[in-house]
Amino acid sequence: MSVSTRSIEGALAEIVGRERVSAEPRLLVAAAIDGRPPRWVVSPGALEQVAAVLALAHDEKLAVAARGSASALDLGRPPARLDAVLDMRGLTRVTEDNPDDLTVSVEAGITAGALAARLAARHQWLPVDPPGWQSRTIGGLVATNAHGPLRARYGTLRDLLLGVRFVQAHGVSTWGGARVVKSVTGYDVPKLMVGSLGTLGVLTELTLRLHPMPESELTWLAAFPSAAAAQAFVACVLDSTLQPSRVELLSGAALRACAATPARAAVAIAIGSVEAAVRDQGALVEDFARRAGGGAAVAPATFWERYDRAFARGDGEMVLQVASLPSRLADTVDAIERGQEGLGSGAAVMITGCAAVATLRVTLTGAELEGAARFIERLRAFVGDFGGSVVIQSGPIALRAGLDPWGPLDPATLALMRALKDEFDPHRVLNPGRFVGGL
Amino acid sequence: MSLSPAAVKELQRILGPQGLVTTPEGRLVYECDMHTLYKGMPDAVALPTRTEQVQAVVDLCRRERVPVVPRGSGTGLIGGAMAPRGGVMVSLNRMDRILDIDLANRCATVQPGLINLWLTRAVSDRGYFFAPDPSSQMVSSIGGNVATNAGGPHCLKYGITTNHVLGLEMVTGRGELVRLGGKAMDRPGYDLTGAAVGSEGTFGLVTAITVRLLHAPEAVKTVLASFATIGEASETVSDIIAAGMIPAALEMLDAVIIRAINAGIGAGYPDRAGAVLLIELDGPTAEVEVQGERCAALCRRHRALEVRVAHDEAERALLWKGRKEAAGAVGRLTSSYLLQDAVVPRSKLPQIMREMETIAARHGVLIANVFHAGDGNLHPLICYDDRKPEELARAVRANEELLHACIELGGSVTGEHGVGVDKAENLTLQYSEADLNFMYRLRRVFDPDGIMNPGKLLPSHPACAEGFRPSRPVLPTGAWI
Repeated sequence: MSVSTRSIEGALAEIVGRERVSAEPRLLVAAAIDGRPPRWVVSPGALEQVAAVLALAHDEKLAVAARGSASALDLGRPPARLDAVLDMRGLTRVTEDNPDDLTVSVEAGITAGALAARLAARHQWLPVDPPGWQSRTIGGLVATNAHGPLRARYGTLRDLLLGVRFVQAHGVSTWGGARVVKSVTGYDVPKLMVGSLGTLGVLTELTLRLHPMPESELTWLAAFPSAAAAQAFVACVLDSTLQPSRVELLSGAALRACAATPARAAVAIAIGSVEAAVRDQGALVEDFARRAGGGAAVAPATFWERYDRAFARGDGEMVLQVASLPSRLADTVDAIERGQEGLGSGAAVMITGCAAVATLRVTLTGAELEGAARFIERLRAFVGDFGGSVVIQSGPIALRAGLDPWGPLDPATLALMRALKDEFDPHRVLNPGRFVGGL
Repeated sequence: MSLSPAAVKELQRILGPQGLVTTPEGRLVYECDMHTLYKGMPDAVALPTRTEQVQAVVDLCRRERVPVVPRGSGTGLIGGAMAPRGGVMVSLNRMDRILDIDLANRCATVQPGLINLWLTRAVSDRGYFFAPDPSSQMVSSIGGNVATNAGGPHCLKYGITTNHVLGLEMVTGRGELVRLGGKAMDRPGYDLTGAAVGSEGTFGLVTAITVRLLHAPEAVKTVLASFATIGEASETVSDIIAAGMIPAALEMLDAVIIRAINAGIGAGYPDRAGAVLLIELDGPTAEVEVQGERCAALCRRHRALEVRVAHDEAERALLWKGRKEAAGAVGRLTSSYLLQDAVVPRSKLPQIMREMETIAARHGVLIANVFHAGDGNLHPLICYDDRKPEELARAVRANEELLHACIELGGSVTGEHGVGVDKAENLTLQYSEADLNFMYRLRRVFDPDGIMNPGKLLPSHPACAEGFRPSRPVLPTGAWI
């Protein structure tokens, strides 16, 4: 065993260089996923190295987990096996940049913050802003289909990923999609990779659609006496010609966390356009808010920074992603707030999320494990009735070991997903056990 | 692999007396789509009205190992809805109902045979629309739009079909009825909905589709600019995008098309114009006003001969009239043409238009252009006289050179029409063996028996994936003749 272990380590070192392979106990513990340390941490410095590492892993039947900034490592089930952690943060090049096409190709390990800095200079952006986005890698954002307030207007990475290079489980570097904004050539492989948690391939290079930054943007904070009033306001906004870029719901507790004026519920609505259009639309926002029984005022320019700081990951939190429907927004918020009582004394619940498509982010702090599990199950039953879902975005291992973090899937659909995984990763090299159905 | 009499009897039982076409005369209309050079007659045509019938037909075809070829309105341009290997064509036109309109959640669920425009008509009085707008939207079905991941002029701003599909109900090649995605976002697991859109019926038959509906914009502003040269028009397009504007549509017509249109309906384009740009902005009134001015200014900076702005719906319709008539006008130019759908990075438009002129001159062919300039999606019509084989041969060579030039510039083989049989062999230009191998295996997951629309979307190759090597085309290039 130890001979074989040493020879694998030697082979890894041959691929990436000795200094890029670590088996030092302290580092392994730091790189643990859900308490399970890998045998090696490998930090490739070039795309070809990723392919060679995977080929080796495939031959040796090793389990490999790719990681970026480690901000979403507790998404999903605890890993079934783990031999090597592939630290992608060394792959940060911009491989192709076409400012006039509004496209860019980057290696997976570049952070969204570094990319944003480059793009801002030319008034473009990749409009993906989950809390804490600046320090997250693009590969990680794609693998987890992370999203934030801007999805109200720009959709998610599903709508922004044009092309993708990935290394399959057997070490073959593969490309799907295109480097242009419009292409239907072959299957839409990028869609398959978004949100697949690196279980079909290790993402190495991504071609992204960019958007022009609005030349002017203002945010209004509309406060309401109830979730129902907030939903009525959102319905009004959606059923109008307004083109907001963010329509973010905040519960009373979430408002407090961003140090905003207290209210039972609020909607932070951002309008980005030319200055005159921002003004015009703002007047409508204020009018809609009044009609829904609340009031809207322009928020300070720092609002979204405060929002980001408040909801970037904190210790001891559980975060749930709840997919509901815009027509059930208030019901869902009420169900969440009602369920809070079972979480134990000292527990707090904050709700944020994109009200336009009713994808909510629920942050639980100080919750007891059993109470939280019951809370999640009840919430699943509630939103499941109309096709919604509850995914545990992050939380203690004990919670995710006892309760499927992904929730129930339709058996026929899961069978198809299993067939997909069986086809592309029969030996379960890629992130085994962590995805839906234990894939 | 033709159908046994017992299988035909079984199909009749499944589909009822009105639900199956078996006579040669009856099947003749199904032998091709709009790409009439590719012909292949199915052994039988099923006309289901219910999902259970679709599932029963797929079950039977799996047992009999005969191909299943889906068809919507037959308006595709790629030979996707024809049966090169016989088998059962499943024509979904009779499944054309709107199952649910849910404006509170801005979506609708429809059957695949529903005509694209009918959906917008059903919700337009309440201020909503279905965004994908292929030029065929008056006749093409939403199921067909999903199969090809269809685009259209307004996809520049709104995205193509896949950006508007929330969920699918599909009978897979494994014979299972699966429900993928749905009204609520972010269903856990792989995005099989996203993978299935654009799969051209090779994964299965879609029996219901949940689509996003959008609220109509407050204002629309249409600007028409004519230029002396296509180079100036192309540079204008690049500058508009580079200036951070995403118009709803940005369409270009070249001198050949302009003359053909003027000779017919007379859209009033200046005769000496070498190119016409049609720019449509939509959104909040103040935004389209400002951006309209900026676009007009960019047109003038590139020495536009004339810039016209529509002030009402009637004027807007007039500006669009020429664009909409373009395909018909081509009939006055030529008896036949090869149509391309390649894409280039939009900043490369000036360059590809120059190369196109060189290619046309080198092969002595007439190339007409009417296309979605804003996203770099070319639609060159390479004209030839179908009575002159030598002219066709030159057109084919010009077509190939042009496609290669687009790929060289970092482009894509097809932007919105799809692959079908027409472009299947061209995928090797854009994808490596490994890339294609991944796609073969993906297909096999959904269709292990290889019966779903065989011969389409991927280059032909021996039955299974691992040993993939490029081989003969499904149809020889000579099939053009």
